[in-house]
Amino acid sequence: MARLRRTMMYVPGNNPANIMGAHLYGADSIMFDLEDSVSIREKDSARFLVYYALKNLDFGNTETVVRINGLDTPFGRKDLEAIVRAKPDVIRIPKTERAKDVLEVESIIAEIEEKAGMEVGTIKLMAAIESPLGVINAFEIAKSSKRLIGIALGAEDFVTSMKTTRSKDGLELLMARSQVLMAARAANIYALDTVFSDINDDEGFIKEVELIKQLGFDGKSVIHPRQIPLVHKVYAPTEKEINHALRVLDAIKEAEEKSSGVIALDGKMIDAPIVERAYRTLELAKASGLYEGDN
Amino acid sequence: MEIKKIGRAGTVESNDISIVIEPSDKKDIEVELQSAVLKQFGRHIKALIIDTLQSKGVKSAYVKAVDKGAIDCVIKARTLTALYRAAESEEYVWEE
Amino acid sequence: MGNITLRTVNLKREKERKKIDEFLHKFELILEKDVEYTLALYDDERIIGTGSVSGNVLKCIAIDPDYQGEGMANKLVSDLMNYQYDRGRTHLFIFTKPMNKRIFEDMGFTEITRLDGVISLLENDPKGLTNFLKKLKKKRQDGRIISSIVMNCNPFTLGHQYLIEYVSNNSDVVHVFVVWEDRSVFPNDVRYRLVKAGIKHLPNVIIHKGKDYIISNSTFPSYFIKEKNSIVKIHAQLDLKIFGEFIAPALGINRRYVGHEPIDPLTREYNAVMKNLLPQYGIEVFEINRLEYRGLAISASRIRQAIKDDNLDSIKEMVPKSTYEFLISEEAKPIIDKIKSL
Repeated sequence: MARLRRTMMYVPGNNPANIMGAHLYGADSIMFDLEDSVSIREKDSARFLVYYALKNLDFGNTETVVRINGLDTPFGRKDLEAIVRAKPDVIRIPKTERAKDVLEVESIIAEIEEKAGMEVGTIKLMAAIESPLGVINAFEIAKSSKRLIGIALGAEDFVTSMKTTRSKDGLELLMARSQVLMAARAANIYALDTVFSDINDDEGFIKEVELIKQLGFDGKSVIHPRQIPLVHKVYAPTEKEINHALRVLDAIKEAEEKSSGVIALDGKMIDAPIVERAYRTLELAKASGLYEGDN
Repeated sequence: MEIKKIGRAGTVESNDISIVIEPSDKKDIEVELQSAVLKQFGRHIKALIIDTLQSKGVKSAYVKAVDKGAIDCVIKARTLTALYRAAESEEYVWEE
Repeated sequence: MGNITLRTVNLKREKERKKIDEFLHKFELILEKDVEYTLALYDDERIIGTGSVSGNVLKCIAIDPDYQGEGMANKLVSDLMNYQYDRGRTHLFIFTKPMNKRIFEDMGFTEITRLDGVISLLENDPKGLTNFLKKLKKKRQDGRIISSIVMNCNPFTLGHQYLIEYVSNNSDVVHVFVVWEDRSVFPNDVRYRLVKAGIKHLPNVIIHKGKDYIISNSTFPSYFIKEKNSIVKIHAQLDLKIFGEFIAPALGINRRYVGHEPIDPLTREYNAVMKNLLPQYGIEVFEINRLEYRGLAISASRIRQAIKDDNLDSIKEMVPKSTYEFLISEEAKPIIDKIKSL
């Protein structure tokens, strides 16, 4: 079953208190950050801390992600040497602009995996797109590597490059959001939306989550635990959606029992995207506590 | 590793530990620990710091530690960060 | 509680300084002139805490009571300590009200001494003072009369030399402490070197770097009390307590000499406290009249004035040869320029 990535919570990599409790707030993924939230003189200590936290702490079913520093900094390569060996689920590449940015990271990871006696391909990748060039090349990036499980829009740098600022309705991001999303869908990987930094503005936050859900994003990056339930609530399916999904499932079972290749519901044929959506709806329903599953 | 200068890592924020490693003229590792849980965990924390340093070949050092409720992996991470800084080294060795 | 951020204050911006200063007023503190680095904690755009650094002292630290107990002080002090360690300053001090000392003790600071209910001095090394005294004891020499002088020597004059010679003639051993502080125009090592050169001929004089536990009045916080007079008094009491309780016993000191201060009211007050306090520790205090030149006492400030006036001839009459040679050397040029620009 495909994983839910409704929420990816940022956790500053040099803060033990934040790291220890990161998985307790129910985020689908937690992202330990070695990049922007860590000052240059603390890069080494954050690397050590995240490394030993990953090796020693149990984060349960929560997906673990580490955002490394770019390979164009003195820290990126060193981050990889440590973090690959600590085996997070995903390594997130910042400021991706071309397929080559992903491929470079991928080949270093493969090299380290081999050195460390790990199965090559263990570590998955995620690319953050944070510039106009990155947005333009979104599809090239999205299909660049088998390891890539998703792309994420990082809007703070993007709007600066675009000579604008973020607004509440997000008009300035519409094009970038759509393009990143479309690239992800075309490459069949996940798409994650950018952060919303005013943690006191629940109303504005919910509006933005509703917008990106409607656009089709899989989820949103969050910077504070209190944002997590808000996202999950928006992503919770309605009763109608759940009922429909259950009926689709029944139809599949029926088809299987009849050994029929054709799935039909209410006399209409059901094709793959509908089946996929039904599964996703039920996953979301389970995660939201609205459906317990058959088994 | 050889301690060349004073190296410090960590903070005194909660769940963290501040570690300062200094060169020492004595032939062992001496740890001066301050912690709210000194009675229950003092020996454990000191032993962990000493083990971590010895695993990197340190024989002599003076360590000042201020613990704010750090768990083992944090203590280890901070001790190693302080050590590499004190040794002015970036030749990290990561366990597989 | 919203978005808490920690930011560096640009001290060159009068507006930013003023905001911090106003915040500190609520705690009967001020943003002191000598701070070189200041941090502020903000809840969105509201200041909720601040702390500063001056030399190896952390000062002007305050947290909004609404946010106390949230680890804000720890966040702030951790960052100030990082700043210090980055600059190679590993031995740090904090002056605080005794009621607040627990906060800093919890962060690894240890109290050196205090004046009850008034002020407490802490350092970040639990063995700092002990190790300092251990080293000091190595310079101990036996004798019946063991004297001491604490001086700044900014720069070393014939007046200083005269005082040391006088004490040397009247003692078995003399310990001279050159006050270590970054704010004198003549840097620490230069002042120390010039004193050393000027006392070479006196075999019973031992010179010390007056670091850390000799509290320079320029690093002493001026904020706890509003009236300036009492600040001097508190500085004197604390400084002399450390001297009498720790430093003097380590060296067996039983006398302290000071040059008579004719003008400066602050120094006069300091000396008055000294005469009152040190005898309690078995140390006799002697005030010696200063050496004069053309009817006026020779002082370091007079030398600095003469440098400003380009009056080389009079300088030559008021400083030892070693100091004079330094003053006309290439090395002294930036210092001379600085004095002239003041």
